[in-house]
Amino acid sequence: MIRIERGPWREMVNHAQAIYPNECCGAMIGTIDGDHKTVSHAIALDNVSAGSQAARYELRPKDLLRAEREARERKLDLIGIYHSHPDCGAYFSETDLKNSCPWYSFVVLSVEKGRFDHANSWLPNAEQTHAEKEELIWPES
Amino acid sequence: MARIMIPTPLRQFADKHDTVEMPGATVGEVLTGLTARFPDLKKHLYNDEGKLRSFVNVYLNDEDIRYMKKDATPVNDPDTLSIVPSIAGGRRV
Repeated sequence: MIRIERGPWREMVNHAQAIYPNECCGAMIGTIDGDHKTVSHAIALDNVSAGSQAARYELRPKDLLRAEREARERKLDLIGIYHSHPDCGAYFSETDLKNSCPWYSFVVLSVEKGRFDHANSWLPNAEQTHAEKEELIWPES
Repeated sequence: MARIMIPTPLRQFADKHDTVEMPGATVGEVLTGLTARFPDLKKHLYNDEGKLRSFVNVYLNDEDIRYMKKDATPVNDPDTLSIVPSIAGGRRV
């Protein structure tokens, strides 16, 4: 289960809506207690995809390294990655799966006509062949 | 000797260490030492062919070793190795 606190949730939704109609992306940091993850900070990162950013996102590994270091400095953990799907559902697409990493939760925010609509969290496997839905709790969910 | 920063999800396979000190003259030697000490880490970093998984990047301090000498990149005390995944995606199928 992954729970996102109000502050980071607001930042993630605002980020997704501000970047619309393109896809946004970022890192989520917080604490892990067994299967319970709590996101206390969101870090907006650049989408560096060279293709159409309305349908693709790519993180710069160096930015992720920076997020990991920031988490360590705060005595927190890098828990997951978020990105948005403009004008479509918060499913884990084939593109998401083929470019994923099994170490993190992947939160997808659906943005319809510029406004947040719904979200899901996904846990991909190491072979990048399947992603399991993870229970996601956000402030207004 | 290098410090290896272990990402949170992999610490369970490294006796819960967040950082591991490992001797070695090159990145390859340090990583071999790491997976010899913590064998459970190996399948998370390497595929069945013994190559780093496609999403795994290794940084020596702030540089990606792919743009240095890869496994043969020399390591000096007190260098830091970080394991960083490649992540991308998008709604397009």
